[in-house]
Amino acid sequence: MKLKVASKILDANERIAQDNRKAFEGAGLYVVNLMSSPGAGKTSLLENTIKGLAGKSRVGVIEGDITGTDDAVRIERLEVPVVQINTGGACHLDANMINSVLNDLPLAELNLLFIENVGNLVCPAEFKVGEDIKVMILSITEGHDKPLKYPLMFQESSALIINKIDLKPFLDIDMEKIRKDALSLNPSIKIFEVSCKTGEGVDAWIEWLVQTSNS
Amino acid sequence: MHEVSIADSLLDTSVRECRDKGFTKIGSIKVCIGKASGVMPEALLFAFDAMKAGTLAEGASLIIEEVPVSGHCNTCNTAFTVSEKYVLCCPHCSSESFTVDSGRELNIVELEVD
Repeated sequence: MKLKVASKILDANERIAQDNRKAFEGAGLYVVNLMSSPGAGKTSLLENTIKGLAGKSRVGVIEGDITGTDDAVRIERLEVPVVQINTGGACHLDANMINSVLNDLPLAELNLLFIENVGNLVCPAEFKVGEDIKVMILSITEGHDKPLKYPLMFQESSALIINKIDLKPFLDIDMEKIRKDALSLNPSIKIFEVSCKTGEGVDAWIEWLVQTSNS
Repeated sequence: MHEVSIADSLLDTSVRECRDKGFTKIGSIKVCIGKASGVMPEALLFAFDAMKAGTLAEGASLIIEEVPVSGHCNTCNTAFTVSEKYVLCCPHCSSESFTVDSGRELNIVELEVD
């Protein structure tokens, strides 16, 4: 017989994401799901952001990588709580992976939690993990055609950080096209141009993040 | 490759639904996949076939109905459907103020069960 069903395929993930959210809200935590392609500068942005927030906010980090602990080691040097998830091949973090490490972080002592997703411009955008906002990075070495080639992540993100602007003199990059296409896909996306190498523009991003997380 | 996670979730939900209603076998699963959902139907079929062994859906076929991206313009009020995975402006009046109504679906709509 035919059985009519009305459920979302990702129901299981979304239920766990809701549980995570309750745990975060209970601890008074603001959670940012940070996404980008590999090498765009997620860990570098986190390093700059954590330094900029020193004394202002208590930050924790969940690192997601297919394998290895390089990123967690970098974050640990800044003396903030960090836990590394190795997905063992999966191209994104899902709600269950986050759920399984909640007890490894002192949630009640933190104000802000960054979840650094696996480097990938496609899949992470599809899976909620219990975050308040998604933020993405596009580095200018990736090219200005990326918003239209990978629309979903731009549509899902509250903020777009355009990184590596110190390399502008060496690249044929159309910054205006990135802005125009990103805003066409997502009119409310907030765009920041930064260089994690020189620190340029990082303050404006941090200021927005603090404001957004407090409102 | 996130189609593997999606196939896993799809099997999980379908098997639970089948069992909850007192059935023991799934013959087919019909799903609606939006063209802007980021899921490749071919990859989902491949993952589904690889993962269904040993479940109540072992002999099940997966029927995928693709849902195009559609919306309506807030300026000229025209409804539209596009062949792309996104909309940048109203295809009729080029207004950039529009609302997307479909294209992001990832839904299970029907199970054939015994």
